[in-house]
Formats: sequence, C-alpha cells, structure tokens
Amino acid sequence: MTTTTPAPAAPRLRKNAIPSGKRRNGNLVVGIILIGLIVFAAVLSAFWTPFDPEGVFPGELLLPPGAEHLLGTDNFGRDVLSSILRGAQISLIVGIVAVGIAAVLGVPFGIVAGMNPGRLDQFMMRGNDILLAFPALLLAIIFGAVFGANTTTAMVALGIGSAPSFASIARSGTQQVMSREYVQASKASGKNGWFVGVKHVLPNISGILIVQASVSFGIAVLAEAALSYLGLGTTPPTPSWGRMLQDAQGYLYVQPLLVVWPGIAIAIAVLGFNLLGDGLRDRLDPRMQVKR
Amino acid sequence: MRSFTRRKSLAITATAMVASLALVGCSAADDSSDAAASTELVVGLLASPASLDYSTTGGAAIPQALLYNVYEGLVKIDNAGDIQPLLAESYTVSDDGLVYTFLLHEGVTFSNGSPFTAESVKFSLERVADNWTANGPGYLDPISSVDVVSDTEVTITLSTPSNSWLFNMAGPVGTMFSPDGIDDLATDPVGTGPYDVSEFTSGTSLELTERDDYWGEAPFMSDVTFNYYADATAQTNALLGGDIDLISALTAYQLIGQFESDDDFAVYEGTSTGETTMTLNNQSDAFSDVRVRQAVMYAVDRQAVLDTVNSGYGSIIGSMVPPTDPWFDDSLVDLYPYDPAKAEALLAEAGVSDLTVSMKLPNLPYAVDAGQVVKDQLAQVGITADVTTLEFPAVWLDEVFTNHDYDISIIAHTEPRDVSAFAAPTYYAGYDNPEVMALFAEADASDEETFVELMKEATATMAEEAAADWLFLNPNVTAADADLTGVPLNAPTLSFDLTTIAR
Repeated sequence: MTTTTPAPAAPRLRKNAIPSGKRRNGNLVVGIILIGLIVFAAVLSAFWTPFDPEGVFPGELLLPPGAEHLLGTDNFGRDVLSSILRGAQISLIVGIVAVGIAAVLGVPFGIVAGMNPGRLDQFMMRGNDILLAFPALLLAIIFGAVFGANTTTAMVALGIGSAPSFASIARSGTQQVMSREYVQASKASGKNGWFVGVKHVLPNISGILIVQASVSFGIAVLAEAALSYLGLGTTPPTPSWGRMLQDAQGYLYVQPLLVVWPGIAIAIAVLGFNLLGDGLRDRLDPRMQVKR
Repeated sequence: MRSFTRRKSLAITATAMVASLALVGCSAADDSSDAAASTELVVGLLASPASLDYSTTGGAAIPQALLYNVYEGLVKIDNAGDIQPLLAESYTVSDDGLVYTFLLHEGVTFSNGSPFTAESVKFSLERVADNWTANGPGYLDPISSVDVVSDTEVTITLSTPSNSWLFNMAGPVGTMFSPDGIDDLATDPVGTGPYDVSEFTSGTSLELTERDDYWGEAPFMSDVTFNYYADATAQTNALLGGDIDLISALTAYQLIGQFESDDDFAVYEGTSTGETTMTLNNQSDAFSDVRVRQAVMYAVDRQAVLDTVNSGYGSIIGSMVPPTDPWFDDSLVDLYPYDPAKAEALLAEAGVSDLTVSMKLPNLPYAVDAGQVVKDQLAQVGITADVTTLEFPAVWLDEVFTNHDYDISIIAHTEPRDVSAFAAPTYYAGYDNPEVMALFAEADASDEETFVELMKEATATMAEEAAADWLFLNPNVTAADADLTGVPLNAPTLSFDLTTIAR
C-alpha cells in the first residue's frame, strides 16, 4: 500500500483492521450461508415447489400454517412456502441484471475518467455526481409510469440508477492504480490506454468492484421488493416478495403471519448480500490486506 | 469509505426488518369513539374529488359528496331506486309522454340567499347544453323546450318520449343552479340542499355545515366531514380507532368480519350499481368470434372470483343490470355455469387452439386480484393470458378505453343504468349489434311496461352474445358506529345521501 489513502480514513482503517480478523471472516461465512439459502430456494423452485405458486385455489383461502401448508395459504389459496421459494428467483434475477447493467455502464465510465485526470475527469465526474443525486428507486418509478410497470423496466431502471456509484468507485480505484510503478513502466514502454485499462487497471480494481456489486445486489433486491409493494414491479401472478407483503397487508387482521414470511425472506436476502459484501471487502480490498 | 458502506448496509438491513415488523406491529387500535359528539358526523371515503364542480370534472367522488347534500334537482332517486319528487312538489306527465309539468316548492332558496324559482330551472337545464362536459352531457338531449308558466310551475317538453330522461334528471345533470352562483363552482358550490360546503382541502377532507335557511326538513347531523383515505386498510383502521364514524362503500371486504364481531359497530350490506366487468374486446382477433367469447364465459368460475377478490361479498348478476333496476332478469345469472369442458368444446368448434390473449389490468387491487384468478382459470382451458398492469387512470384510459389496444380488461362500471352505453359500437368493448342498439332506442321511447320488456330483451341478447363477462356486482357495504341510525343501505345512485342519518 503506497501513499494515496486519504489521511482522515487512515486511523479508522487501522482501528478496524487489527482486532477483528475473525469477525470479518464470520461475516463472510454467514453471508455465504444466507445467500446460499436464497440461491438454493431459487434453483429448487425452478424444478419443484410443494404446490403451484401461480394457481388459484378457491377452496383453500387463508389457511393457517399446518402440516400440509407449512406456512399457510394466502388470499388466493396459494401455498405461501411455494411462493416464497419461487419469489427468490425474481429477487436474484433482478439483482443480477440490475448489478450487471450498473457495472457495464458505470465501470468503463469510471476507468476512463480515472485514467484521464484533468478536464475530462472533472467533466465526467460532475455529470456523474448529478446522476448520483438521483435515487434509483425514483428512476424506477418514472420508468414504470412511462414504459409500463414490470420486472424488466424495474431491472433496467435500477441498473441505470446504480451505475453512478460503480462509476465513482471505479474512478477512485483507477486513480490509485494509475500512480503505481508498473503502470508508469507500462506507459513508458509505449502501451496504449486500452492495454493499461484492461490489463492493469481492471484486474487491480476488481476487488472493490466485487464488493460494490454485492452491496448493490442487496439494494436491488430491496428496491424490487419496494417497487412490487407499490405495484410497480413484478407483474402478478409471478410471485414476488414485495407484492406478497402488499397483498398480505390487507389481511393483517385476518392472517397476520402472512406478512411475516416475505418480510423474513427479504431480510435474509438483504442481510446476506451485505454481510457477503463486508466479508469480501476484507478479503479482496488491497488496502485491508496490507494493513492486516 | 469502509465505515460509510457498513453503516449503509446496516441501515438497509434494518429497513427491511422494520418494513416487516412495522406491518406486524400495528395491531387493532383501541376503540375510543367519541360519545359526546351528537350531531357531528365524520365519514371515511376513498377517492377524493379533485374539484367540486361535477359539471366539468368526471368521476364518482364529487356527486358522492355533494348530490342531494349540497345540490338538489327536481327529482331524486330514493334508496330503493325509485324516482321521487324533490324540489318539485309534484309532477304530471302528458299522455303522449312528451310534456312534463313540475309544480315547485315555495320559499326555496340557494345557499347564497337567491330564491329558487321556475326561472332557475330554465337557466340550469339550458346551461347544460353548452357548459356540461362530464357526468352525462348528453343526458338532457331529449329536451326540446323549457317553459316558465309561473314562479312555481314549469313545463318541460321533450322531442321524443324518454324513460331514461327523468331518471337522469335525478342525477348530477339535473342539478339546479342559481344564475348568480356559478362563478366559482370548483371551490364554492351554491345549491338548494340542506348543507353548504364550509371547507374543502383536496385529497384530505371536505366539510359540510347545515344550512339554517333550508327549505325542507332539517337534517339530523349539523356538521359532516368527509375524510379521504389513500387505501382501504387506512380507512378501516380509522374507523376502528374512532377517528371516523362511518365508512361508505367499504372495499376491504376481508375486514368486514372484524366489524361484525364487534358490538360497537354495525355493518350494512346493500347493493350498488358497480358491476365488476371483465371486458372482452369484441373487435380483437381473439374475441371477434362469439363462440370464443362464450368459451371464456364457461371457463370462468365467477363464484371463485367473488370468493377470492371480495371475500364472497357481492352477487353474481350475469348481465350488466343490478337487481335494483326493474329490468333485472335473474334467469341470466346462470346463463353460463362454470363448465371448462364446454369451454374447450366451444374453442374446438371455433377452430381455436393455443390462444394467447393480452390481459391489460388497471393497477387497482380488485382488478389485479380478479385478473389472477381468471388467468388461472383460462389456462385450464388452454387460453394463455399475458398480464400487464397499467397505471390507472391515465395509462389505462389511454391504452384500453380510448385506443382499444387490449383483449381482456377488468374494471368496475359504477354508473347507474349504464348497460345501453356499454352496447355502443364505439365504446371500448367494441360490441356491435345494431339490433340491440335499436331495442334500447325503442325501449327509451316506449311506455313503462314495454320499456322494461325491451330492456330485458336487449340485455339478454348482450349476455347471450357474451359482449362481456359481468363477473359480479359489488355490494354496498357500510360500516358504522352502532349508535347511528338511518344509514343508507343501497347505493342506487352516485350520491351518498346524508339526510336520513341520525344518532
């Protein structure tokens, strides 16, 4: 680690870095377990669910949890467990696509800005700051109103909305890499910007990008749930945790447990991705490793 | 960087937790209804009016609050659905059904102090032609002339006999206005009714105060406030919490049990004019064949839809006619029993297989819920419905109602006696049967008995040709403090009539 770490952040780094190596590993393990649960549910539900999560069963409305329906049934007579399992698919797809779009748009933008200090950098990053000030959720609501509310518009809007944070992280990482000796050597030997960007910068900032992707994943999962809760996300009858919450809200007095299950599922997913992000940062961020 | 992200990640996790816990946490609030208030009434409603002028702004919200309370016409529809004189003391009709003579009450004044006379009648009815853009601008077309005989007598001559005309006179379009009280209708309505608007905050509340110079019998409640809520759950919570005394047109049907089991509340279940309709685009490739439409009718289990969407509250009607209309025909209720085998046979007969249709639903909870049930039932006979939800009202009105770009949509038609409007070929259903239109026209010009017969014939034809699937009729559920009396049971018009409510 060389000299570019900003001074105010240094003491904090040291304080956290020394005593807590094990706890951070714990973050990673718990994160992986929670995400593993969600991924398992998504994969499993692609092949098998206890009952059809999209059907309607008029004879079995609002049953309490029991032997047949472990988590009970909702106001359509659907098995809640089946819906929760299938809902994991939408959450993961939204997360993957949104983060993918954000990374594809944001990372090259940030690298270009970081490799060209001066006017171009200033111009690009001030533009980025303006976009950063615009909340992804608001963008998704606007997209839903203009292009029709469904999973695709939600994913695209969330992706575009979270691209600026990828851009600013990629740019700050790039600036650090650009000051290294091997980059200087590469430049001196006549390699062009493309070569430096792809061969030196990208691999060396991949750690912080992966961390950012994990955290953004959690945000995207939560945003999809929020949009579906507002009726602007996943189109029924495809199960979505957010819409399950909204449907259950009307039956709060009748079958209060119905809001608990999707709430727990959302909490597990978001907690999992954030713990994973924190754990990965400890492993992948070069600043952390040097301090340790 | 590090600590910032950590804090953010914790905050996100916490938000998810709170979102789920907060929903669990809010249990039934204690009931602290105010016993001291005697002649004050607070009513909880859902859709707020955007303005107070129903001559230019459409929708049910304005007449719901103002008709019969602030505004009055010559006649009104009583709670059983019958026409009664209101500002007219009595009226007579000539034998040919063309000349109506109204004798008006004496000493009637508007809330701005101006007297109500035969001249006001002439002014109000003639004003409609040029100034009325919402809530049935064409309803008064049969009128050929309005003649003032004396201050308290007016004759109205029609160009053709019309049965629907007098009914429509009892609605918003027949409202009596004062010539010097129409400058500021959007915020300051001037009518002859028992109440005057004292305060209006769009989206939040509307306050009515009793007039001390009302011509008729004074209402029981002196001050009435309409509180507007964003959703049905908030509305029911407000009643449970004692913030409001009455919910009109309650739609959180799953919560009715909550009020029924509580001695502090009374629940009234009457009928409305809101037919929740699954409209099939008769002009679309998918549904231009009557057999395909009939197949849909057999494929849908309406009782299941009613049970899921409305928790079983409401009734299956089989046509676009509520039982409060005289031409309701209960033989149509079972015209299409749930019979998937028959649906498949009809589809095969029509040579249709692997049919995929677009189902465009307004993003209203009942429509989205009903759509899911129907989608599942259509799938069982091999019809795939691609569901999209459209923002209501703007996007839905544009795409479905105006541009007819859909195969199936679901919406409640709340206007009273709207079946003939539904049959118009230019309407969004695209149902085109000139014979039915001729029947409706003939019915309107006939005497009362023939009128009912012809209306029955026309509506039966529409049902047999499966112009649409009238899934069910919404109930008119009112939940109120148990000490209130005179709560209107039915909602045969758009008005929520306050005049009978007492404590």
